[in-house]
Amino acid sequence: MLAVGLAFLLAIAGTFVFAYRAGRHVRQIRTENEPIHGWMSVPFIAHTHHVPASVLFQAIGVHPREPHDRRSVRQIAHDLNRPVPELIAQLQRAIDSAAHPPGGQPR
Amino acid sequence: MNDQLLAVVSQYGAPALFGIVTIAAIGVPLPITLLLIVAGSMISQGAMSLWGAIGAAGAGSVLGDQAGYAIGRWGGPAVVTKLSGLFGRRASLQTMEAKAKAWGGPGIFITRWLLSPLGPWINLVSGTARYPWHRFLFWDILGEITGAAVYISLGRFFSDRVMALSAVLSDLTWAIAALLAAVILGYQLLAHLRRPRVQ
Repeated sequence: MLAVGLAFLLAIAGTFVFAYRAGRHVRQIRTENEPIHGWMSVPFIAHTHHVPASVLFQAIGVHPREPHDRRSVRQIAHDLNRPVPELIAQLQRAIDSAAHPPGGQPR
Repeated sequence: MNDQLLAVVSQYGAPALFGIVTIAAIGVPLPITLLLIVAGSMISQGAMSLWGAIGAAGAGSVLGDQAGYAIGRWGGPAVVTKLSGLFGRRASLQTMEAKAKAWGGPGIFITRWLLSPLGPWINLVSGTARYPWHRFLFWDILGEITGAAVYISLGRFFSDRVMALSAVLSDLTWAIAALLAAVILGYQLLAHLRRPRVQ
């Protein structure tokens, strides 16, 4: 019965820990932008950061394939023979510039 | 691995979603909730159709679940025990069978979407316990379509926050599982404390 008691305490602790973590992630939804990941396509990143996809394609020097270019950032980096983190950093800079254009009002 | 799966769904859409959820429903641990949320986000971007995504996810999951049930029913306990070991879980077959019988249809329904990590095991033990196939199929379709609709709709609604949303849902699932465990264990403790002691 001691084992059941310990498991009960562990389950209670687990409930609180996971509920707290869920609450923390809810706050993130409201306050933080989605980080860029290698699996994301350029249109996906454009959507999550509310920036036109053409701006991001232009920033990394890629002509999008017709009709829809849904290659992942990792795939584009492979095609361009460039490191993924470098491409992600370039996309992030383009997003930041679009959000805070020089001499303009922040969006 | 997760990144590659997400990239495949992002690039190839509903057919890729169908293939991946089928494999996951058989018991391979894959990030299905995240994939469904991403599919929802793609719908809001116009890259996938709502009914195409729900249909692909629902049909793939049901197909995988039915395969799991068939393995349990016709493969026998030896195969199920071997598979449990392969997937890193050696739960007592008798215990799982007893739970499957006790929970019945609602148990099958809830493990399709809310307590989805238990889904593949419930499929196997429903088969070994010879739970009636037509009832299993009914609760399975109902649960999988509900799950696909819920997670895809959430992804569609929070289409620009897919990773954070996935983290919220993952933690909530574990919080609910831990709460359920606490209730069951608390009930057992209470029953033990109330039992009259033999002098």
